[in-house]
Amino acid sequence: MEVHGMRSRLRWPVLVAAATLLLAACSQGSDTPSTTAQAPAATTSCASTGELTMWERSGGNKQMVDMLVAAWNQKNPNCKIKLTYIPHTEMVGKIAQGIASGEVPDLMGMDLIYAPQFEDAQQLVDLTDRIGSWPEIKTASKGHMTVATFENRLYGVPLYADVSALFYNKDLFKRAGLDPDKPPTSLPELREYADKITALGGGVKGYYLPGNCAGCNIFTVGPLMWASGAKIEAAGPGDEPLVGDGVKQVLQFTRDMVKAGNVPEGARSENGETFHLQFGSGKVGMMGTGNFNITLARQQNPKMDFGIALLPGMAPNSAASFIGGDLVVVPKGSKRVDDAVNFMKFLLSDQVQVEVYAKALNLTTRTDMVDNKYFQAEPLVQDVAKALEVGRTPYTLTFFEQINSPQGPWLKMLQRAYYSDDNLDTVIADAKAAMKTIANQ
Amino acid sequence: MFRGRRSRLVGMAYLAPAVIFVLVFTVYPLGHMVWMSFHNWSLITPPRWVGLGNYQRALADRQYWVSFLFTLKYTAMITPILIVGGYLLALLTVERSPLRRLTRTTVFIPVVIGLGVSSLLWYWLFSADFGPINKALMDLGIISKPVLWLGVDADLSNLAIIASVAWKVMGFGMILFVGAIQAIPTDITEASLVDGASFWQRVTRVILPLTLRSVLLVTLVSVIGSLLAFDQFYIMTAGQPQNETATSVFYIYLNSFPYLRLGYGAALSMILALTILAFTVVQLLLTRRSHA
Repeated sequence: MEVHGMRSRLRWPVLVAAATLLLAACSQGSDTPSTTAQAPAATTSCASTGELTMWERSGGNKQMVDMLVAAWNQKNPNCKIKLTYIPHTEMVGKIAQGIASGEVPDLMGMDLIYAPQFEDAQQLVDLTDRIGSWPEIKTASKGHMTVATFENRLYGVPLYADVSALFYNKDLFKRAGLDPDKPPTSLPELREYADKITALGGGVKGYYLPGNCAGCNIFTVGPLMWASGAKIEAAGPGDEPLVGDGVKQVLQFTRDMVKAGNVPEGARSENGETFHLQFGSGKVGMMGTGNFNITLARQQNPKMDFGIALLPGMAPNSAASFIGGDLVVVPKGSKRVDDAVNFMKFLLSDQVQVEVYAKALNLTTRTDMVDNKYFQAEPLVQDVAKALEVGRTPYTLTFFEQINSPQGPWLKMLQRAYYSDDNLDTVIADAKAAMKTIANQ
Repeated sequence: MFRGRRSRLVGMAYLAPAVIFVLVFTVYPLGHMVWMSFHNWSLITPPRWVGLGNYQRALADRQYWVSFLFTLKYTAMITPILIVGGYLLALLTVERSPLRRLTRTTVFIPVVIGLGVSSLLWYWLFSADFGPINKALMDLGIISKPVLWLGVDADLSNLAIIASVAWKVMGFGMILFVGAIQAIPTDITEASLVDGASFWQRVTRVILPLTLRSVLLVTLVSVIGSLLAFDQFYIMTAGQPQNETATSVFYIYLNSFPYLRLGYGAALSMILALTILAFTVVQLLLTRRSHA
């Protein structure tokens, strides 16, 4: 009797769990709309009527996304986009739950580094036959398009772009006897300039390296390695990470910079919370940071005169940049693929590139649109936009674990390079082994 | 017989809302977590049965045990501070006077601030570049250059975080202790005064024994809260230096969400949950003994 009672009590949760799983399994099995055969030609207007739903992660460029959606809604009052922000730490789970239950938005913005994972898991609509032949795609941000492509199939277009570049303080350049119109074009030159700026004293330092922030470092130190001919991440199982002399050369460069006192001591505990405020403090001569810092630095220190150059490598005039930002993609199960594609066409149109992106002094997502009237009036934005042409985005299914995690091998390698005397070959070998293990899982 | 059956049904009907609530919000999530812990599941791909594989992996996962031991160390350090500090504050503010009430309110205010917000605040206060703590210490001549409180030295980071959490949480224990002390019948305290007991004699021989249940309750709450520590470490050190200040929940979070290893994260959560259960059982046994 007691056993029977216990079985009865246990049966309910089991039944509830089974029903939920069955529901999820049924939903996963549902077909997505056809993406190819009868697809109409894309326009920048509604394909059908009724509200479109869009999810976007919080913590990205909210201001830009709001403006883009407002511009679409103004042009298309019959199919306005209802935008919902999801906390970025919950985005992956929310999308996965949505896909499992069939409750997906019609389109969504996605942190571009996560795109390969979702493409690999076949959770996004393949848009190759709809958008692959668009002329705009040819000039769309290379970094975005790299991660929007999986096994030669296209899954999205850029929503907005963030790029890294070298910001330099012209006032400090002048005080140190340097030409404010000639930023460094190689890492040896950067070191030379940093020494002179640090020599000014009074708490002024030549350079900034965020010692406790994996993401800040891939954004600003990663390009130094790329510009020096190195490769960083393992794309997948069997792929070799940290390849090229540039890895060791850049690690040696950073170690020397720290040892020479060119980096503020406080940078060692920088976990990203105050990273965006460092350049605007006026006490850092040069620093790798992002386009978002133009406005921030001006607000923080209106009198400071500064310039922007590309992040250099070891050789003269070598340069690279990290292209970050978001993609617009269509989750499987979306009922409004045609409208989602039209929104993509709208985003890439000349009109939106100039009158929405550029007018708000945000980067255009097409490289052929950077020469516009708004950027011409704002040389700093024009300078930072050059990064779109030399920039790239890491491509791996395990970006967070290899690179972005505070516990990952990338940050561990950099910290050992910056703050220890460990043999750099050993440091690189350890990081390489850890990255390969992650990629092979 | 019919009446007995009917009254049983009525009883079950009364119980039903609570039972359904527990089933939906406790039993099902817990059961689902157990189910998840036996699978490899990234959320975006179908789950795959791995049996005890995740648990075997957890046993061999060095970083998890580093995090687990660090969490125990943090718990062992902060719990006495919260209990003793809270109790002392309660003794200081238990009397009913306007100044003491104001002090109680002031000490309690941080309790209502979110832990994430207070962690951000303390991150700024401790900042080597922008923080007033370093500046004040330098102006007073106590230090000659800014101290890197967070993310460089594990022990220093731990102490800095303990200071921030003590500021945030101590008022909670204080309020419970004040309530417990005020509940002691006045004839007992007056009798001890008539007998000529000093303040500390009254505290150690009258007040403390009569408030022991509250002390154990606050200890239980503090231990569970500390074993589940996440926000403060996530925000203030991000587990650094070299992952030495990564707590168990921080490691579980990383595995479950950014790494998309939900099954493994569930297995780690189960291990942590069982640990907390063990602590709770011990605490409850102690509470019963003190009550007896």
